Amino acid sequence: MAGSNKPTPMELDLLRELGNIGAGNATSALSSMLNDRKLEMVVPEVACLTLPETTDLIGGSEAPVAGIYIAVSGDVDGHMAFLMPIESAHQLVDSILGQETSEFDDMGCSVLEEVGNIVITSYLNALAEMTGLMIIPSVPGLAIDMAGAIWSSILAGAAILDEYITVIKTAFSSEGKQIAGHIMLIPGEDGFERFFKILLGTDNG
Amino acid sequence: MADIFVNMGEIEVVRGEGVLITVGLGSCVGVAIFDQERSVGGLAHVFLAASRNGLGATQPGKFADTAIPALVDALIRVGARRSALEAKIAGGANLFPRLGESTLNVGKQNVAAVREHLQLNAIPLRAEDVEGNKGRKMTLYTKTGIVVVQSIGEAPREI
Repeated sequence: MAGSNKPTPMELDLLRELGNIGAGNATSALSSMLNDRKLEMVVPEVACLTLPETTDLIGGSEAPVAGIYIAVSGDVDGHMAFLMPIESAHQLVDSILGQETSEFDDMGCSVLEEVGNIVITSYLNALAEMTGLMIIPSVPGLAIDMAGAIWSSILAGAAILDEYITVIKTAFSSEGKQIAGHIMLIPGEDGFERFFKILLGTDNG
Repeated sequence: MADIFVNMGEIEVVRGEGVLITVGLGSCVGVAIFDQERSVGGLAHVFLAASRNGLGATQPGKFADTAIPALVDALIRVGARRSALEAKIAGGANLFPRLGESTLNVGKQNVAAVREHLQLNAIPLRAEDVEGNKGRKMTLYTKTGIVVVQSIGEAPREI
């Protein structure tokens, strides 16, 4: 069971490339939302991590984070999440709303949900365009809570017992400010095998 | 004695004075079982209600149906008496209430399964802090059986 869904280095490269295309899509979508405010997004790294490594990446199990979750259905099924450390979430909301916030009110939560939605669906669009597969995202769900609580709830909801999770690290920069975020990609039962087969030209039917 | 952290799917027991902590309980349920007179206590961090894929044998702590018997066995090995065991539980939240009761609300199922398996093992449930929409941190003081639960932005509460 362990590692059955662990991508090969070549597959990780593909995911990174898709991440870059998705980031490009996301950046243009976000720029229009930001009224010309400069927000850039890069995908520096893709990694295959164990659950404890994943929570460490976002500051540990107890660290407060903002998490946006989207279920994926259509020709493939899976789950995607976009997690940001709480400080980054504040910086992002502040830079979008153009004011300082200490707590997330309804407006702040809407902004986070929408940014997560844009980031995740941009990535999914890149996947769909490259594979020709139909991919349907669910409505986004937002939680602001302990990283471990959010992350384990998503994994439990998806009934994921795999030991490895593919994580696409992303980074935004807005007017010199660095904002961190991570896209988590969790394949469903059939995994993302189908993507890889199509993308690597090994799909024989 | 240093605090012991119980990660998702793990089971830890302590005899005497000890502090067992599990953080990041979302839909997961923290199950504390203890024999107060003997000062033996243990904590499990349950991920799903029922074992599957044959994982109950290798990772019993992940599932309510296997975690509770495994925790009880571990407690008895370090000196607890089966007849004196009591339980307190926390967790089982739904962090994404907007997404409805569907796929992500395994919290409720986990709570129901934990209660059921405590009953099957004849362990009285003394206190609980479950469900709702917030993640929890749970701490068991093994000497006293006191459990403290905390959510982000809230004061710790003793159960």
